[in-house]
Amino acid sequence: MKGNVYTLCYTGVLGTVCALLLTAVAKITEPYKEANAQAERNHNILNVLQVPYPSKASSQQLVKIFEDNVRLEQLGKLKIYRYIPPKDSDSSETLAVGFEGPGLWGPVKGFLALGKDMKTIVGITFYEQEETPGLGGEIVSSWFREQFVGKSIVDEAGNPGIIISNSEGSAPNKVDAISGATMTCNKVQAMLNEAIKSIVEEK
Amino acid sequence: MADKQLACMTCQPKGLCGGRGLLTLKEGAWANNPLAIQVLGICSALAVTNRLENSLVMGGALIFVCVGSNLLVSLLRKRTPHRIRMIAEVAIIATFVILFDQFLRAFYWDMSKQLGPYVGLIITNCIVMGRAEAFALQNPPVLSIVDGVANGLGYAVILAIIGFFRELLGTGEIFEYKVLSGQWYTPNQLMILAPGAFFALGILIGIFNAVKGPEPGEKK
Repeated sequence: MKGNVYTLCYTGVLGTVCALLLTAVAKITEPYKEANAQAERNHNILNVLQVPYPSKASSQQLVKIFEDNVRLEQLGKLKIYRYIPPKDSDSSETLAVGFEGPGLWGPVKGFLALGKDMKTIVGITFYEQEETPGLGGEIVSSWFREQFVGKSIVDEAGNPGIIISNSEGSAPNKVDAISGATMTCNKVQAMLNEAIKSIVEEK
Repeated sequence: MADKQLACMTCQPKGLCGGRGLLTLKEGAWANNPLAIQVLGICSALAVTNRLENSLVMGGALIFVCVGSNLLVSLLRKRTPHRIRMIAEVAIIATFVILFDQFLRAFYWDMSKQLGPYVGLIITNCIVMGRAEAFALQNPPVLSIVDGVANGLGYAVILAIIGFFRELLGTGEIFEYKVLSGQWYTPNQLMILAPGAFFALGILIGIFNAVKGPEPGEKK
């Protein structure tokens, strides 16, 4: 049986060597990981702004496309990502605003994209959410998100706000809620309305 | 086990480690297959096999970790105090797993997202720890590497087979290329979902055992 001192030294050396190795690797790979995380975010913004890009683009390419096409503007307190398409393309100018708030289980974050009139929704995306899979988690599904396209962020009377509800009737600012996910829908509606309020204020 | 210890310096003309190399390889990859015979590490095998590509990467990860940890545990086997050997093994395994995870995150981001927590969970995979404890602690480094390759391969091949059939039947694709045409084949979603994994693994274990026959001394 080896002594306690030996055991302690052994543990110390093994632990230090492993820690040093991992620190070195983490440091070396950091720029790549950061580029990936940024590409992921840019990817979301490009999608919601409907900027055309090749489907198999690498992280570096995505960052480049993003920098070439999307401008970050400050409108009052609001941060806006604006896409101005090249003159010869048939896509139109869009802008995106981030929104976030508490969901049912954790934070929900996403981007809302509007047309040039700052009134018509052209897309919505959620890049972070932990809602119940199959119920609240359906907010990321395409059927739910596609409903928003073409909707207005103000009602017929011009009051800002969007309604996520399964009630009867249709309105230019109403989309269907997800059955079984009332809590998530209410919370998403609240965080969207908060973002919409600041958009209308700053317009 | 001590009497079986073979020094690799004296490799016999018969082959690696006096024929023990080939035996070890066969034992790990076939006769004592960690997944199909010992039924270890099935959590990850069920979770990541919905696509062939995922299965292959996961298999590669396990081979890498198994070989690395077996080699290091074997090199340190005479210096490691017996009382803390398990902690030392886990530290070594965790180091290799995190190395692989960092590599995926940096250069293979999409795959890293798809495998999610399962790469990190290799640390708790019974196969890796089991080989370090049962084999690498008693055997010389070269033989331990062979054992790591054998068991990693045993796991990877099974994963690849399950991944192949789940992707083929579940989506009609292989490596995301359409193989079974949509005109006459309706993809069976069940194969992509969790129950499909259980069916596939269960059937595979059944076939494996039927082909291999009963253990010596086991009543039929």
